[in-house]
Amino acid sequence: MKCYICAQMGKDTDAVAVCIVCGMGLCMDHAIREEVDIWEGGYPFPSEKMEKTIPRILCPPCYEGLKGD
Amino acid sequence: MVSLSKRMLAEFIGTFLLVFFGAGAAVITLMISAGQPTPNEFNIGIGMLGGLGDWLAIGLAFGFAIAASIYAFGRVSGCHINPAVTIALWAIKKFPSGDVIPYIIAQLAGASLASFLFFASVGPDALAIGGLGATAPFPGIGYMQAILVEAIGTFLLMIAIMGVAVDRKATPGFAGLIIGLTVAGVITTIGNITGASINPARTFGPYLGQMLLGGANLWEFFPIYIIGPIVGAVLAAVAYNYMSADTAT
Repeated sequence: MKCYICAQMGKDTDAVAVCIVCGMGLCMDHAIREEVDIWEGGYPFPSEKMEKTIPRILCPPCYEGLKGD
Repeated sequence: MVSLSKRMLAEFIGTFLLVFFGAGAAVITLMISAGQPTPNEFNIGIGMLGGLGDWLAIGLAFGFAIAASIYAFGRVSGCHINPAVTIALWAIKKFPSGDVIPYIIAQLAGASLASFLFFASVGPDALAIGGLGATAPFPGIGYMQAILVEAIGTFLLMIAIMGVAVDRKATPGFAGLIIGLTVAGVITTIGNITGASINPARTFGPYLGQMLLGGANLWEFFPIYIIGPIVGAVLAAVAYNYMSADTAT
């Protein structure tokens, strides 16, 4: 798989990741890794934030969309 | 997890909302029907407007306040807003011992403030006619009968909490709605028996308000609303744990 964004710019770059939202192939330059907090618990127990986080790989358009920018 | 003080604040506000809107609904029902002759001594005024529908309306006022509180504060404190629930979760080792007393203090304080602010909002009739929504056994209901009824009512509440919230296999998102409706259903049936407290804090607030604002002294009935709910809730929690425990086959 090739990087979709690079392909749009006429470049041929191998993808190293896939956007978890839209499925776009991404090279290292265009993959954005987000660390998502994990919360456990909830009614009838207080929620607790876990020490570990879950990685999420996003493309720039989905990252901007999810961040509301 | 947020600090204990923040969780206590959440319990305080949640119990305040439960008593202000729930017990407040009983007060308003009595005030609306005041002056009308009651058909029998078992009818103290709640039921004059729409029969059992009066109790359903009061139950739904409790239920909606509980549902809103659960969705608002469930992740913060667990939103027990009921000492019987806190003690039952502690009894099955799902709640830390050190947090039990602080939670109960916050719940009792929230319930008390609700009674005083309801009195301040509505005026003297809230006490003189509505009795601040205080619970007591209805005419013809004995002390032990009242304890039994409160225990059975709280058993249903706690078994619902265990099934829709504590159990990890429960479908998430429904707890507030289901538990609110469960409380409404319990109140509809046992409201005209014991007042349907199923929560020691819910009875404590109006009792304290009555005592300090010059109303009736009802403390002789308070053990009903401590023993019944706590026994019912602990039995439900233990029974659910036993019934749902996995066994290898």
